[in-house]
Amino acid sequence: MPKPNVQRTSNLLASVTDDMLGGELTSKLNDRTLRVESFLLDLVRPHPVQPRRVLPERIHQAFHQQQLTPTQALRELIQIVYVAARQHSRPFTNVLELLAQPEDESETPADLSPEETLLRDLVNLAVTIRDDGQVNPLTVVDATQGVTRLYRIETGERRYWATWLLRDFIPDSNSNGTIPCIVIPTERASVFRQAKENTSRSGLTAIAMARQAALLLLSVHGYEIPDYPVDNDFYRQALHLDLHSKREHTDMVLSAMGGIGKMHLSRFKALLRLSDEAIEMADRHAVDEKKLRYVAVMPQEMHAELLHQIITLKLTSKQIQDICESEEKVEDEIKEEQIPARAIKVARILQSVATTAPADVARALLRQEQGVHLALARIQSMRQLLSDTERLLEEE
Amino acid sequence: MSHVFVFTNHKGGVGKSTSATNIALGLSSVLKSTGASNARVLLIDTDSQGHATLVTTGRKDYGSKDSLYTVLMAERQSAAKVMNDCIVQSEWDENLHVLPASPMLEGAERELIGAAGAPYRISDPLSKIISHYAAVVIDTRPSFSLLTEMALIAATDALIPVEPRYLETVGLLSVISKINEIRDGWRIPDLKVSGIVVTKMDSRIKGHTQLLSDLKNHPALGKLVCGIIPANEAVSYAHNAHQSVFSYDPKASASRAYAELVVTLIRRMVQG
Repeated sequence: MPKPNVQRTSNLLASVTDDMLGGELTSKLNDRTLRVESFLLDLVRPHPVQPRRVLPERIHQAFHQQQLTPTQALRELIQIVYVAARQHSRPFTNVLELLAQPEDESETPADLSPEETLLRDLVNLAVTIRDDGQVNPLTVVDATQGVTRLYRIETGERRYWATWLLRDFIPDSNSNGTIPCIVIPTERASVFRQAKENTSRSGLTAIAMARQAALLLLSVHGYEIPDYPVDNDFYRQALHLDLHSKREHTDMVLSAMGGIGKMHLSRFKALLRLSDEAIEMADRHAVDEKKLRYVAVMPQEMHAELLHQIITLKLTSKQIQDICESEEKVEDEIKEEQIPARAIKVARILQSVATTAPADVARALLRQEQGVHLALARIQSMRQLLSDTERLLEEE
Repeated sequence: MSHVFVFTNHKGGVGKSTSATNIALGLSSVLKSTGASNARVLLIDTDSQGHATLVTTGRKDYGSKDSLYTVLMAERQSAAKVMNDCIVQSEWDENLHVLPASPMLEGAERELIGAAGAPYRISDPLSKIISHYAAVVIDTRPSFSLLTEMALIAATDALIPVEPRYLETVGLLSVISKINEIRDGWRIPDLKVSGIVVTKMDSRIKGHTQLLSDLKNHPALGKLVCGIIPANEAVSYAHNAHQSVFSYDPKASASRAYAELVVTLIRRMVQG
């Protein structure tokens, strides 16, 4: 079959329209005014490299690797929250029950796990959308290729998840499965625009700021920002970059970061030295940069444990500073004795046994090992290690 | 609001599919050449014969999983997603997308008897994806069946292709009153008879010129005549080559006439 001659088609139609379409008509067709349009929820997707994470990291990665649909991702979140809530004797059968006031008035929102808080906030947002409508549209970028329609969210990922929650998990929602969006022309979309939108809102965690700083630095240094999910090593590439050789971009980067100074930018960037586990914990629990900066300079194998202590013991930045400085001294002494770092780590874990709940350990093990059998095998080898250690100590 | 043009007439062979396909391509090409922010046009083929599908996509083997039939049979909540997934790119232009017909549409009406919300099974899902398109063009089958009714419920502008023959022009008023009946019966205030497209016009035939003159002088129908497409062998050769008349023979009189009609429709789109 001969291929149609598209060029000839365009020439003919262009020659006719030049005479017939006046300038006014053409300018109306070229109208790039931003408009609110309703898009099918299925056609809208969050940006995988968005520094602000809405869902827990594991679900975020699985969702962006197409292993989970939006509904399945929310179901996973609800499952996590359900387990946590049941452990704290507040089971629920419907997500709307999360909005109910706790019977025990001494129980404050601070007692809720980060996932519980997240889901409760999303349900709250979903109910607001149900009752008052989506008054604040998302901003999206048209990433359509051929007939594969796709709109990438620039801002409004929480509203996106709340709308899915409303559609699939809240009874009698009457959601028609669409979401109002403002389409930003592709040429106007950039990491700087997104950064400004992000930093102008409250609630951006220190880790999100670190990722944001990394994206801006990578961008000004000519790195391509991918549209597929990336791990922390992608952001860590920015650890070797600075603004010295890109002075012309300095003001733009600092302004996009919310008007912070160069020193703050470096401090946020330095947080990318934290281990993956520590990054996830710090992001979930929204730990301050002031607290994290001391942890980031410690050896990586200590990060997760330190973060755990910061969160469970609610340590102040002063206390963290003291711990980290003393740890450094101990570290120096131990180095002299040539004790392997792994052994030191196990010994430190033993210090925090008294303050650790078995249920938490069980959940953490399940998450880490992705299965009961592997988790039980880990416990068994730990038991073996401890009994051997005990024997050695008794011999001493 | 995107305009949804439906080409309809219960008489066969009047140029519904030819007009729908060429107008759809014309709209997207003109919008693109004027630098419009959105130049995408969707062509929906509701005719089980699938002529519009065949010439624009080069295929007519669409079935239960990838055609309009799939959309009609989908669950209400997932119908828009299904419609989105069934749309394919035409071979004519990257901005012309096609929701293909299937021979299975022949039995679809029977299967949908008694189905909840059957008449809205095109308009409902289309309303959720329409913002992606600058315009939608629907080709219908030569009858006022349930599928044509669905197409009219989804439409904003009905265009009636008609040959300049006595009996056909006599039947025009009944076509218009049928469209108005659907508009009032289903309470679709946006739907209007937007124009009459006279096709296969041969000015050498005295009867054609006489009937065209009568049509233009008619107090009601005269205002509706929006395009006159001359009889032109380039149209049939273009079908044969699976090409639009614009690309097959841009100098043909039919190409120029369709291009003028495209401009008229774009003017209406812009002026609301």
